[in-house]
Formats: sequence, C-alpha cells, structure tokens
Amino acid sequence: MCNGYLPIQMRVDKVLTENPDKTLKTFELSFLKDNDRENFKYMPGQFCEFSITGKGESPFGIASSPTEKDILKFTVNRTGSVTKEIHYLRPGDIVGVRGPLGNWYPVGKFKGGDVVIIGGGFAFTTLRSLLVYMLEHRSDYGKITVIYGARNPDLFIYKEELEAWDKRNDLILHLTIDKAVEGWTKLCGFVPTVTKEVKLDPKSWAVVCGPPVMIKFTLPVLKEIGFNDGMVYTSLERRMKCGIGKCGRCGIGSKYVCIDGPVFSLEELKNIPEAF
Amino acid sequence: MLKIKKENINTLLEELMKDYQVYAPVKNGSKAAFKVIENPDDIFTGHVKSEYSPKSVFFPQSEVLFEYSKEGVSIPEKKEKPYLLWGVRNCDTKSIRMLDKVFGNARQAPDKDMYKDPYWKQKYDTSIIFNFACNAPLTTCFCNWFGSGPFDESGSDIFVVETKDDLIFKGISEKGKELLKKLSVSEISDKKDEEAVSELKEKAVSMMPEVTDISALYEKLPKLWNEPIWQEISSKCVNCGACAFICPTCHCFDVSDEGKNGKGKRVRLWDSCMFPIFTMEASGHNPRGNSVDRVRQRVMHKFNYFKDNYGTHLCTGCGRCVVVCPVNLDIRDVIKDIINYELNKKVPADV
Repeated sequence: MCNGYLPIQMRVDKVLTENPDKTLKTFELSFLKDNDRENFKYMPGQFCEFSITGKGESPFGIASSPTEKDILKFTVNRTGSVTKEIHYLRPGDIVGVRGPLGNWYPVGKFKGGDVVIIGGGFAFTTLRSLLVYMLEHRSDYGKITVIYGARNPDLFIYKEELEAWDKRNDLILHLTIDKAVEGWTKLCGFVPTVTKEVKLDPKSWAVVCGPPVMIKFTLPVLKEIGFNDGMVYTSLERRMKCGIGKCGRCGIGSKYVCIDGPVFSLEELKNIPEAF
Repeated sequence: MLKIKKENINTLLEELMKDYQVYAPVKNGSKAAFKVIENPDDIFTGHVKSEYSPKSVFFPQSEVLFEYSKEGVSIPEKKEKPYLLWGVRNCDTKSIRMLDKVFGNARQAPDKDMYKDPYWKQKYDTSIIFNFACNAPLTTCFCNWFGSGPFDESGSDIFVVETKDDLIFKGISEKGKELLKKLSVSEISDKKDEEAVSELKEKAVSMMPEVTDISALYEKLPKLWNEPIWQEISSKCVNCGACAFICPTCHCFDVSDEGKNGKGKRVRLWDSCMFPIFTMEASGHNPRGNSVDRVRQRVMHKFNYFKDNYGTHLCTGCGRCVVVCPVNLDIRDVIKDIINYELNKKVPADV
C-alpha cells in the first residue's frame, strides 16, 4: 500500500549560504534511488515535507523548477528547531523528503497571457521555481514582470540569478529595498508602493508571495489597478504536520492549505475570513 | 433475525476470537475503554456507553508511523487478525464511519493513493462492527438531534438488541450478513422476540431528550463569524482539550520523532485545536492565537467545515464532551445559543 507518511531518502549535494548573516541557506538535493527520481514529478508552487529523522519535519516550498532535472532545491530560513538542524547539514548528509505535496501555480492557464510575479524576502522560493519554469518555456507566455523586494540588499536570495535575469531582455525585473543604502542603484520603497508605480497591465495574471504584511498591502493595490480576483494567486503558509489532509492543522475555513492549496486565487480566498 | 441465549454469548465470542481480534469495552480503573479481549469475561457490560470511544481502536492515541535508524526507515511489520468491535453504540459506529471519510480518503480523487491513510485502512477495511442498541440512553445523549436514535441500525455491520434472555442479531451490511451465516447463532427469532425489541425500542426512544432542530446550524454559522457570541461561548473555556480527546470524531494529530543517537520512531499523537501551539508557527506568528478563535474553529469544523467537505456534521451526539468538560461548557447549549442567536440585534446606543 502506498504510504504518504514515508519520506524518500535524498542526499545533500550543495549548500549555498544566501546572506552574510547566514540565516538563509539553499540546499540542493539529489535522489538516492532511481525509481524515486523517476516518480518524483512536480510543478512550480508545490511543497515537500523535509525531515531529519530524530529532529523533526517541516514543510518548504520547492525552489527548484521541474525543468532542472534530477535535483530538488529548498531555501530555508533558520528560525525554529527543525530549521536550525537543517542549517547544520553538509554535503553528503542524508535527509528525508515527502512530496511533492499540494497544488501548483496554474502555469497551464497562464499560457498566452502576461504574468506578473510579486515577491518579498525569502518567500521567493516557489516564485523562483515558477520563473525558471516559465523562462524555460518562454514562448508560451507573454510579458513577464517580476517585482521583488527585500529589507536590504543582503536579504535577496538567488543573487547570482537575479543578476542574470536582470540582463535578459525578455523579462522585466524590478528589485526594491525598503530603505536606500549606499551603492544600491535599483528601486527603493515597499513592494505595494512599487507595484503601484511600475504600471502593470491589469489584464495580466499575478502571483503574489511574501510575508503576510506584504501580501496584505499588495492585494488592495492590485485590486485598485483593476486586476481580476480570479487571476491573482498567492501561496499560503500554515503550520503543517501530515501534508496529506488528515492531521487538521493547516485548516483555513473548510479548506486545508496542504491539499486544497498552498496556491489559491483571491477568488477562492474571498469567503475565508481566516486566510490572511 | 437470529438470536442466542445470553448464557451462550461466551461460546459465540470464543468462536469469533478464533478469526478476529475482538475489541470490546473493558473496565480500566473506574472507566471503560475498548481493548482487545483475551477472555469473553473481560467485557464490561454494566454501562450504556464506554467512557472512552472506540476511535482509539483504529486511530490510537499514539501510533508508530515508522522506525528510523542510520540505515533508513522501516515500517514495523504487524500480522494481525481482522478487527471485530463488539458492543459499539450507534453514536460511535457513526463516528467511525465519519473518520473513514477522512482517513479512507473520500475527498481526494480515489486514485490518489498517497492521500489514503495506510495505518487506518489496514485496520478498518477488514473490520466488522457489532452495533448494540441502547436500551437505556443517558441524560447526556442527544444522537436524536442528528437524526439518529438509540435503536438506529444504520452504519452497523451487525445490529444487536439485548432482550431479557437473549441477544437478537440482524445483519445490516453485506459483510455482517455473511458473517452471521457462518456463526453458530442459528436460532431464528420469533414474533415474541420482535415484540420485545419493539417494546425496548419504544422505551429507549421515550428516554431521549426533545429534539432541537439543527437544520439552520450549517448556514447560520458563517454569518456569525464576527459576532460577539464567540466571546460569550469561549469565556469560560480553559482550552484544556478534554473535549477533543474524548470526542469520537475529533481526529487532529501531531507527528513527532522519539529516539536518540539517530535511532527511533516517528509517531503520531492525538492533538487538539484547543491548544495554542497547534497552529503556532516557527516565526512566532499564530493564526489562531487566542481562545476565542480556537473555540470558533472547533464549532465551525464540527458544524460547518466538515459538512462542506464530507456532507455531514462532525458530531454524533454521544455527549461525552458534556461529561468531561471541567467548566461545564455544554455543546448542546452552544448549539442552541447559535441557533437562537439574533443577527443584527439592535444594541441600545447608550450601552
């Protein structure tokens, strides 16, 4: 019988420290078993339960794109007991992964349309997955605009990739920090303000992912510009355990974030007072 | 219908114990809980309803999901006979059927095996439930609010009525009917038995409380989201979680690793939405950080959300939470208060 509670074993191949404070690390994992590698089919926006046996298990969005073959990437902010243990991992260590779990950004629906990606801080993980995926299938999509904000330049993740994306001419990238610092040549200001200023086409699809306060203030801006609630998506986070709709922990209204989400359109969240 | 003389029950049970792991109410200190019996005399019959529900048979308070070591993970092999539950009341039979909607996966596409709970299914799928009629319902019983009653057969595999001298059996599910054919209960019940059953039923039904019409509950609840009623209801709740642990339908759980030196077990343990830590995130953010939100969550889940997903209320009126609540927060009063709550009530300006 298939057992959704059993993790597959994966090996840590690379550990990349994303910021000088070393609170953000990206882990690149590879599959130990061939059939796990073949069976693990995922889409941008899905998540996994990442565990170190004996230390615990926590959910993280998959930061790699399915177009990056044979590996999974997770970016982890050190904040609690499990993430502290994850930060101790070194290349060669074996970890447990359950997934892919949950639904994904509707990249199929996005086809032929313009897409706006709005992210904040280290929540850019599944947005990276989405962006890499769309760039690999570039001709399927219209204009791609990215607004990405962080408190300061150090707190952006995937800095090398951001530089490369910034040079592309088939992608508009707006990077913004909260307060001006010396040497920063890009935008300054909070994500909602920048969203208002950069002149977005309200007929686009939008994906918003970031800290709750950023989401809270960005959504009304999109509404004001004229975005359709059914075309604005966000990814929710809740404390989770099972990840398969049994343990009851991640409920928001009659939905479970783990199986009905984590990706929801604003249309779906409208009548769920607990969502934000 | 078939019947057996009471003095022959032990022979029947011994016969069942050959093919089944038989669970029945067993006295554990002052309270009864469903345990595997080794001897038919272990069964405690001196009550209407076991203090602890049989949910623990299929969904134990603590259950090993797998064992881990440096070599990897493994599931401890269990070779068990199919489960047979003896002496279950209809409120608990219904609860088990509800839990199967969650663990057996009625909500996800049936082909998605990952969303079926293998630990539940392994025990549940081959199980058989002997549902006993309640001859003397308790004052805390209110299953009739949910359309059930002390002689409700639905959900049973085999329905059993205890008369003065006999147990009368009726096969309800296919599985139940098949089993009855195989058993050495061959005496056919007669008209006199049927009269005795109707008499008992009539008496039991008359002992039930007046039915409160709960048909408005589901639609009314979302409208009350921001109303002060939740403050009123939750004001005396101490968030102890006793109601959730004793509830035959509450099924939230925690997952935790227990072990040391790289070797141990991953276990799941009953949990409750009444506890602040239930939703507390590592960042310190808690979407349900106060008692009012948590009490509302429990009521909403039982009488609105679950119905959205599975078409039924997540309560069978067993009344156990009424009995165990340390502050007498009575779910029947909560339901009535919600139904009677006046929306858009004008509050005098000078208050």
